[in-house]
Amino acid sequence: MSEDLGHLPLEELLEQIQDNLYGGHPEPVVAGVHELLRRGLTPYEALTQGLIAGMDVVGEDFRTGKLFVPQVLMAAKAMKGGMEVLRPLLAETGAPRIGTLVIGTVKGDIHDIGKNLVGMMMEGAGFQVVNLGINTDVEKFLHAVREHAADILGMSALLTTTMPYMRVVIQALKEAGLREKLIVLVGGAPLNADFAKSIGADAYCRDAAKAVETAKRLMAEKMGAALA
Amino acid sequence: MIRTPAAYLTEGEVRRVHEASLEILEQVGLLVRNARAREIFAKHGCKVEAGGENVRFPRGVVEQHRAGIPPKFTFRARDPQFDRTVPDDAPVVISGSSAPDMVDPATGVARRALAADIARIARLVDQLPNYDIFSVSTLADDAPPAFFSVTRLYAALKYCRKPVRISGPPEELDSILKLAHIIAGSKGAYMERPFITHHYCPCVSPLTMDYDSTETLIYYAEHGLPGHPTLVPNAGLTSPLTLAGTLVQGNAEFLAAVVLEQMVRPGKATIYSSLPTVADMRTGAYVPGAIETGMLFMGVAQMARFYGVPCGGYIGLSNAKVNDAQSGFETGMAGVAALLSGNHLFNMAGLLDALMSFDFAKAVIDDEIVAMLRRIQRGLELTEENFALDVIREVGPGGMFADHLHTLERMRTTGFLPEIADRDPRQGWLEKGGLDAQGRAMLRVRDILTRDAPSLFAPEVDARLRQEFAGMVAAEFAPPEGWTRAPDEALSDRAERRRRRLAQQAEA
Repeated sequence: MSEDLGHLPLEELLEQIQDNLYGGHPEPVVAGVHELLRRGLTPYEALTQGLIAGMDVVGEDFRTGKLFVPQVLMAAKAMKGGMEVLRPLLAETGAPRIGTLVIGTVKGDIHDIGKNLVGMMMEGAGFQVVNLGINTDVEKFLHAVREHAADILGMSALLTTTMPYMRVVIQALKEAGLREKLIVLVGGAPLNADFAKSIGADAYCRDAAKAVETAKRLMAEKMGAALA
Repeated sequence: MIRTPAAYLTEGEVRRVHEASLEILEQVGLLVRNARAREIFAKHGCKVEAGGENVRFPRGVVEQHRAGIPPKFTFRARDPQFDRTVPDDAPVVISGSSAPDMVDPATGVARRALAADIARIARLVDQLPNYDIFSVSTLADDAPPAFFSVTRLYAALKYCRKPVRISGPPEELDSILKLAHIIAGSKGAYMERPFITHHYCPCVSPLTMDYDSTETLIYYAEHGLPGHPTLVPNAGLTSPLTLAGTLVQGNAEFLAAVVLEQMVRPGKATIYSSLPTVADMRTGAYVPGAIETGMLFMGVAQMARFYGVPCGGYIGLSNAKVNDAQSGFETGMAGVAALLSGNHLFNMAGLLDALMSFDFAKAVIDDEIVAMLRRIQRGLELTEENFALDVIREVGPGGMFADHLHTLERMRTTGFLPEIADRDPRQGWLEKGGLDAQGRAMLRVRDILTRDAPSLFAPEVDARLRQEFAGMVAAEFAPPEGWTRAPDEALSDRAERRRRRLAQQAEA
């Protein structure tokens, strides 16, 4: 396939990658990314000019109601394919980090549809996502945050009986000295912004799109602070 | 009455849905997180994956256990006059449950619900004539975690005489029963007349049974206490994006839950209660107010009839945030579809924003919607007497019925007389204040909440409860902040008071 791609002018190649992201086709996206790298673009250029530019359109069309949820999830899967090629190269070349998210439904709760949607949409935005699944206890959260050097921790709960556990996790993060460098996002139907504030989270995200938007914003602030 | 329920499915299709459900249970199975449930399933012939959590249900096992479900379920109150049985007393109406928020009656702004709100809602549900059962409508943000359900039940049972339904976490099972025993006078007295009905959602779609709610199902079944599950598949997210696939998967989940009930306690009464939804795939929004929910209830009712089990669920919810046209048409249309198709339990009323907030005016409006559903249920009442052939003969062509004794005898009963719906000519409506349904409903709310509400607990019972659960929030009924109690002389005829108040408003 890359032979065919080889004939395309760069502009058209980028457009084709973005079309394939939009349409949710992982294999051609991966092939396109390889072609960009073959032509000498840096991994960071391939990421920003190819993938992120494409997903920005997807995000915009989702916000305005042109794209539906399944289409966005398909696009996110295609994005994930491209990112798997680029991620190790980005790290090697010292490109700015997009960020790693550790996410899980808290202990006692097995509701994970919303949380999985968040995870997939975060992958769509280029984040590396470590999904811990359901019924996640403090130890599991802390271990994953350390192991993956997470930038963001996402916690989800649907039950009012399980949402207080988020406070327990945040307390444990503080005690372990992990809280300060970490962005903590929380979500789930019975939560609200006041609750997020009261337990010491950074933000409450009412849906997956809001989670992506918030994660990008807080991550940019974090990177800015690191540079300053 | 409705002689032939509205039906989408042929008999053959009902059987096919059943067969497809059995196929799912036998071939795909359920992920059962709760270890005790897995043991119970294994003991009764289900195939539990070695070292795993998947449980498959041989069709014979399902058929054998579901056949034992009794055809009736009774909600009991402390006073037997408030007992209600499905299907005999259908439609049986139960308030919406467990909203985290509350539209503040004084400010109109949504905020977290508190124990004191539950006391007011309990009084409202007690007073509104069309509610049969009080499912504790909100959570209580000020309740300490250790006494969360106890705080909610205390306020509910203190001010509402009707049967009360609640769900609670496994940690509180014992304290909920202790509270019940204290109120009843003894454990024995409570077991004679268990006035709390327990509710659980053990199945998390797709095809998963959880830890906690499954634990409460087992616990209450073991103790011989009344309870039933609700199944909540959400097409597009947790079930296939077809109504047929969602009906089948939800039906399989229902069978798994009630088979577990029957395994723990053969002959246990239950309800085929559900809340099937179709997600709005533009955003993934949860939309129980969508028309497809009403349609799915029509299918669910057919399946429940096939099983001989009373049915219903969260019927008539709305995604509207205020009492506008949307909140009315969503509640009304689903309500009519569910009623005409033979549902028995209507877990509706009082909730806005997809179960997120309770609203007093919505509860009053829904009380009136329920009155209309009851009117539909009464039907055309075709009898020889009601043909009124002698009256027609007597009045004759060109005559007048309005001044006939036959009319006078029926003037309050033939047509349902609404209190919220407005029927005045425009000028008359303007003269009375030009209020919309929300405005008129709030007058009724004010009328109920500004009068004294007696505690239903004897002082010594109240003292024992406060002692036993020191630390809970022991809510007292009080009018919402800013509303003053009505003077005692106002305790005369309610309709007269409302008329006077409307007149005063028109003057002002």
